[in-house]
Amino acid sequence: MARLLVELKLRLVRNALRSSTAARVSFLVSTTFAVLVAIGTFWLLAQLRLLSASVDLTTVIFSIFAIGWLIGPIFAFGLDGTLDPATMALYPLRTGPLLVGLLAASAAGAWPLANVLGLLGVTIGLAHGGLGVLFALIAVVLQVLFCIVLARFVITSMARLLRSRRGKDLAVFLVVPVFAIFEFLIQVIPRAAASGGLSPASFAGVDSWMRWLPPGLAAHAIQDASTGHLGDALARLGLLVAVIIVLGVLWVRSLDRALVTTDTSTRSSRVRNAALPLARYGLRGAVAARFLRYQRRDPASFAYWALVVVIMFVCSASTILGPHQHPAVVVASAVFGAAFVGSFHANPVGQTGPAFVFEAMALSGRRELRSYFSGQDIVFAAIAIPLLTGVSFGLAALVRDPREGFVAAAVGLAGLGAALAMSNIFSVALSYPMQKRAGSPMPQQAQGFGGYAFGATFGTLASVAVAVIPVIVLSNLTSSVSAAVRLPVLFGCAAAYGFGLAWLGVRAAAIAAEGKIPELCQVAMRTSL
Amino acid sequence: MGEPAIEVRGLRKSFDKKEAVAGIDLDIEAGSLAGLVGPNGAGKTTSLSMMTGLLRPDAGRIVINGLDVWADPSAAKAVIGVVPAEARLFERLSGEEVLEYAGRLRGLPAAEARSRAAQLLDVLDLTADAKRLVADYSTGMRKKAALGCALIHNPSVLFLDEPLEGVDPISADVIRRLLTRMVGTGSTVLFSSHVMELVEQVCDHVSVIDKGKILASGTTDEVRGGKTLQQAFIDLVGPRSKGEDGLSWLGSSSN
Repeated sequence: MARLLVELKLRLVRNALRSSTAARVSFLVSTTFAVLVAIGTFWLLAQLRLLSASVDLTTVIFSIFAIGWLIGPIFAFGLDGTLDPATMALYPLRTGPLLVGLLAASAAGAWPLANVLGLLGVTIGLAHGGLGVLFALIAVVLQVLFCIVLARFVITSMARLLRSRRGKDLAVFLVVPVFAIFEFLIQVIPRAAASGGLSPASFAGVDSWMRWLPPGLAAHAIQDASTGHLGDALARLGLLVAVIIVLGVLWVRSLDRALVTTDTSTRSSRVRNAALPLARYGLRGAVAARFLRYQRRDPASFAYWALVVVIMFVCSASTILGPHQHPAVVVASAVFGAAFVGSFHANPVGQTGPAFVFEAMALSGRRELRSYFSGQDIVFAAIAIPLLTGVSFGLAALVRDPREGFVAAAVGLAGLGAALAMSNIFSVALSYPMQKRAGSPMPQQAQGFGGYAFGATFGTLASVAVAVIPVIVLSNLTSSVSAAVRLPVLFGCAAAYGFGLAWLGVRAAAIAAEGKIPELCQVAMRTSL
Repeated sequence: MGEPAIEVRGLRKSFDKKEAVAGIDLDIEAGSLAGLVGPNGAGKTTSLSMMTGLLRPDAGRIVINGLDVWADPSAAKAVIGVVPAEARLFERLSGEEVLEYAGRLRGLPAAEARSRAAQLLDVLDLTADAKRLVADYSTGMRKKAALGCALIHNPSVLFLDEPLEGVDPISADVIRRLLTRMVGTGSTVLFSSHVMELVEQVCDHVSVIDKGKILASGTTDEVRGGKTLQQAFIDLVGPRSKGEDGLSWLGSSSN
């Protein structure tokens, strides 16, 4: 069974590679990334040798890998056929051999191997002496085994949920913390470390409680063995083995249940609202009402707003965490926030999917199209204005310069107007079908439309960057004027300028869309969400 | 024949080098319940998409109730209702909201849209699920909700693409009765299907399409020519199976 399932996994990879060039490129990128992660992790762990906080940092790195194992399979649920027990439920299989087979399938592949090789850096960074190295080898194997069993237990327990609409929604929501952690690791930490705001000493003592978690047990066992505390090292590894056994038993029980419950039904949710809002405002009100409902109920829409907040914080993180604070960075955060509001909403037809056909039946003239675009803009502005303003003031408070919050909010308003205008124009000029791909809970552009998505995204970002220049110039020219006069005028001018840009965008998009409704319908019908 | 509600002349559409619709002519009389039948890939969906203004034809003219669909799409779309093959609705609206939205898109006052939505949900047996998200609806419920969306503005011509695929017999009966009722009041219905029994039962006009061409068109009795519609259809389109000689192992007696 182990051999069969390993072969199945390798066959799935081979078939995916044969399916398209994009799949081959994706596999190559993923494998290259795995090799880089293995080398980087090995190097990082080996560098800890001379640091006093080496065991603390090793515990943190082991824990990050465990979290990765916990979250990764949720995203890869539809990608790896060996993850879903329902695919095995049709065959007359006994739990024991199936368990071994699934374990072996989990361990096969570039990423598990990269995991083991990378973590072996502890043999240089943390382990001392022959006994230390021996314990390091055992600890790494047990750490990876713990990760695999934990991931399998969680994924098997959640399999029914992950097949359901709610589970897919949950996976979309998980994109936000994963993106935040990723940005924190590759943007915030390096910048904070470079500016002296973060050093290895910052991690000293962080494992006062983490040492009792399984990754911490593995890391501390290596240190105990290296410092001659053999009994403590054996006790920690014993405890880790016990945790793995308990998780294994829970996994077996979960697998037993999963093999006889293939039902994919899910509880459906009922909505409380009696009717759509904005009834008095005609077609514009109807479109706004629909988009408003989607911002609340569609996990992808919700995730886009959360990602805007994360992007704004990441832009200012180095100045908040660093020893030297540059309040002007808050303005850059507002520009990026506004630009990404437009960029995330630059393809409403693709994001709506085949249901757009129902809207298209009502969008025949320029007037109706203006209502369609302005209805969307009203909703996006109603959410974005308080969001951009609030986050700008929050960031300004963190860098202890509340006045910069006013400037950032004003620039954000102008940027938002430009962003909405460009998103409307690109939603006609570069509309593209979207699809949900296995391994990614967020909808992405369909194959062959990468250029459209790139053009709409970077076109919006660049246009917003250019459009806010007059407001930034005005802000700088009036910097010597009393704040009581300057800030309200700046705010008012920026708001009027942003509104004007958005208004122009609506009109331009309506003109462009007037003769393109059938083409937009084809984009919508090619979308599969 | 009376005044045609749907008039199609020389309709053509190619995708890359493949000709999906190869010049079809069609006349459907007002007040007809017409069926467009054909095997998979025959060009049914492409033809209906062009007739409803959702896909631009390479050539040809489509007139609905005297209105040219491609010369005056705004006026033509106002008098038609469409149920696409894959009833993909607004997943994150409830059944009640999706019908109300469709009504408001069609210019109905909100109160009227709400009232008609409630009545349609009742007739379509969806009242108990009116507050559930469409994302949680079954295929049959989606089809019924899509039909409600297409009917809410009382169109004089209704186009349905495979309306009964994946629909249970009870829901199918509800849909059938609704369509018959519409036609009884003078409206025109054109639907595509490959369920011959259904077309034979309910349609007074049938057109057979294959490889983008209309092979036969007329009253159901004319197209049947004394046979069952299924047999007439197979005679027109020709059998596609290559025989089952290679499956000698299949069946209980082979074990």
